[in-house]
Amino acid sequence: MIDSILLVDDENLFHLVFEDACSLLDITLSLKSLNSADEAERYFKNLIENGSPKPDCIFVDLNIVGSSFDGIELIRKINFEYGDGVVIGIISSSDDKSEQAKALKAGAQFWIIKSDDIEPRLEKFKHDFDGYLNRTNQFKVYR
Amino acid sequence: MIKLSKDSKDQLIEYCKTKGVCLEGNILKVLDTSDDPEFEEYVKSAIEKDTEVRRKRLDMTKQIQAQNIELTKWKSENEKINAELTDALKSMEQAKESVSNDLDILQKKTQYQLIESIVKVSLWIVCGVGVVTTILFSITLITGMENKIVESMWSNMFGILLTNSFSIIGTIMGVKYASEKGSKKCKCEEND
Repeated sequence: MIDSILLVDDENLFHLVFEDACSLLDITLSLKSLNSADEAERYFKNLIENGSPKPDCIFVDLNIVGSSFDGIELIRKINFEYGDGVVIGIISSSDDKSEQAKALKAGAQFWIIKSDDIEPRLEKFKHDFDGYLNRTNQFKVYR
Repeated sequence: MIKLSKDSKDQLIEYCKTKGVCLEGNILKVLDTSDDPEFEEYVKSAIEKDTEVRRKRLDMTKQIQAQNIELTKWKSENEKINAELTDALKSMEQAKESVSNDLDILQKKTQYQLIESIVKVSLWIVCGVGVVTTILFSITLITGMENKIVESMWSNMFGILLTNSFSIIGTIMGVKYASEKGSKKCKCEEND
């Protein structure tokens, strides 16, 4: 089980879906959901300033409406400015190959396609999580 | 794992039995139930209840999410149709304006043609009267007949003809100029 997960997505309804799916699949004990990339950046700055523990895994939406930058830029920032050892990836309804390549370059470890039936993908991800944590897994798209 | 005291466990079990309120959420997953079968049963049933509630909520949220997506699609389609209708209305108004302009030009052209015909006929009449009077005056001169009335008539006629002919020529020129301008405008609009 993953100790703590951070979800960054502008869609509040998806927060509920993700929270319930994670709980039903025993993926995590603690889930925090944020609505924008700016909010996530502030959250990480505060964590570093206060010396608080970072989340074990971060799911970022690709297009976060109401943010000054997109999910890929947030991944880049977290990885290169605040991260260090955090498992991070995209959760999006898009399956765009060029965006996936950009995400990989920014340091994303996985890409989960968001759809009505998200649970099977999350379950597969749960099984692969240790590989992402040890940095032994390759970038993977969960379709 | 969190280990609770016997008292706390008993209170939780009692509260669940009497009031139907049990622990819920992820806290249930970290409670130590190893040495208490009754509490283990309590946690198991609380987890089952929680799972059931979450499953229901997940299904409903998914349904709302799907409806939300549909509504967003409809909204964008409506906006698209609205934009198309506005465009069609605009082009119709432009066409109406163009037809109205064409009709106006056609009416003016007909009016000018009518004026041109009137001026032409008037010119012919004036010239005819002039020619007839001149012939009459010439005959009286040749034959030596009494011509005082014809003479004054001829001179008056020529005086009137000279003054009037300039005004007629002016009118003709005006009509021609107006017609040319009108036709040029028509051609320009056709080219546009």
